[in-house]
Amino acid sequence: MAYDDLRSFLETLDKQGQLLHIGEELSPEPDLAAAANAAGRIGDGAPALYFDNVRGFTDARIAMNVHGSWRNHALALGLPAATSVKDQVEEFARRWDAFPVAPERREDAPWRGNSLTGTDVDLFAVLPLFRLNDGDGGFYLDKAAVVSRDPEDPDNFGKQNVGTYRIQVIGRDRLAFQPVPMHDVAQHLRKAEERDEDLPIAITLGNDPVMSIVAGMPMAYDRSEYEMAGALRGAPAPIATAPHTGFDVPWGSEVVIEGVIEGRKRQLEGPFGEFTGHYSGGRRMPVIRVERISYRDDPVFESLYLGMPWTEVDYLVGPNTCVPLLKQLRAEFPEVRAVNAMYTHGLAVIISTAKRYGGFAKAVGLRALTTPHGLGYVSQVIVVDEDVDPFDLPQVMWAMSAKVNPADDVVVIPNLSVVELAPAASPAGITSKMLTDATTPVAPDNRGNFSTPAKDLPETEEWVGRLKSLLAAR
Amino acid sequence: MICPRCAHDTIETVTASPVPGVWDVLQCHRCLYMWRTTEPERRTRRAAYPPEFRLTQSDIDTAHETPAIPPLLTH
Ligand SMILES: [Zn+2]
Repeated sequence: MAYDDLRSFLETLDKQGQLLHIGEELSPEPDLAAAANAAGRIGDGAPALYFDNVRGFTDARIAMNVHGSWRNHALALGLPAATSVKDQVEEFARRWDAFPVAPERREDAPWRGNSLTGTDVDLFAVLPLFRLNDGDGGFYLDKAAVVSRDPEDPDNFGKQNVGTYRIQVIGRDRLAFQPVPMHDVAQHLRKAEERDEDLPIAITLGNDPVMSIVAGMPMAYDRSEYEMAGALRGAPAPIATAPHTGFDVPWGSEVVIEGVIEGRKRQLEGPFGEFTGHYSGGRRMPVIRVERISYRDDPVFESLYLGMPWTEVDYLVGPNTCVPLLKQLRAEFPEVRAVNAMYTHGLAVIISTAKRYGGFAKAVGLRALTTPHGLGYVSQVIVVDEDVDPFDLPQVMWAMSAKVNPADDVVVIPNLSVVELAPAASPAGITSKMLTDATTPVAPDNRGNFSTPAKDLPETEEWVGRLKSLLAAR
Repeated sequence: MICPRCAHDTIETVTASPVPGVWDVLQCHRCLYMWRTTEPERRTRRAAYPPEFRLTQSDIDTAHETPAIPPLLTH
């Protein structure tokens, strides 16, 4: 089941008991953020939160934590709510192979119904904005799918980028914008600024649940996020032409904000509590001038709380970070079984692989560092055997404790690249990276005393099934 | 009224609550800090504002520019 907009997904969440409507009056601060923060602290299966009675507002509808549990993430992909994490990642990887699926253009987008232009543009008139964390410099848009084009190749559909970036509201028609240097929009901006031009931009808010997943996915520069959304949805992604920029934007967005990043200009931005569990900011960042806001009747404002992990962002970008790394590693090393890159967008990664010969596991781990995502993340890699589930952290810790001889199996490489946001980097953007080989050495790497492993009994798998059905039949 | 974050005294009202008189959103002219008047004191009062998030004129003047503005193409 593919959802064409946020509203239809919220209906499904509600029917599945995964949406909590909070109708009692509450304060915009600190209640909205604290409630969403708390959703990440009540254990597995947390619901999405929906607020429509916020003090001082007459017409606010706010959705948070929409992707904020494995149950909600499964439903976003149209899977049964109880699907395991490993199975969700495997299904994600299977659908990925259908890429590219051409989008479907539908020009009857509901956000065409209302718009503000010129001097009427006022973000506060459309969005019930609020602060997330104490030290944040202001109110943020942190779950938008942002569309930009390559100024050197504006008609190339594949190079049109859709990504999620942090965006601070710094005025009724002004936004501060953080393009991570490794990301596509930073390349678009550099090309525009070299030509002394502004960079047109479209910011779409409140999207269908797969669009939000794809916007946070590390993809190659010339690959279209809409064609990937189609593959993951199992149906073409519906798109429409944004009226001011002419860019392709999701048909179902609640709000479409259009304008330009003003060329060769920077203003103070942040701080903002980030997915690293730390604030970053106090830097001079590019600025957006908003020129048009289009929105649906009764728009729903979707926001995401992030802070000390785990929060919604970890569910949102966890699987979509695992799959590109898995695909890129498997392309050269088919022995790779699974990749768990769910920690801080892949700053730490666990890879399960079979071994071709002695030393092979270290080669696989080192290769992860040089993948496109690895250049900005992957500062710690743990490689485990093919029979260790990298999503099962007790098993991974067993491999770490039993298989690792630190002097031979831990490799530290100094002064590699990493996102500036990485809190341990020094200086910002530079870090050492560590590979831990927690696999069993194979010939000719004849180290250790591993010749007699105690494996699960051959009959155990059958007994797993028997125990499960006996339990279910009680 | 001074900015809770940088103590600057030029403060602008950005917007007011749709229900009249419940809150205003204010902004500091110098550091762009934006806050709602009904937020907790730790976000709205200079005396209660956490030291680790305070800014000085020198912090603002020396803020790192990112991404760096590239040189103009010459041809
Ligand atoms: Zn200030």
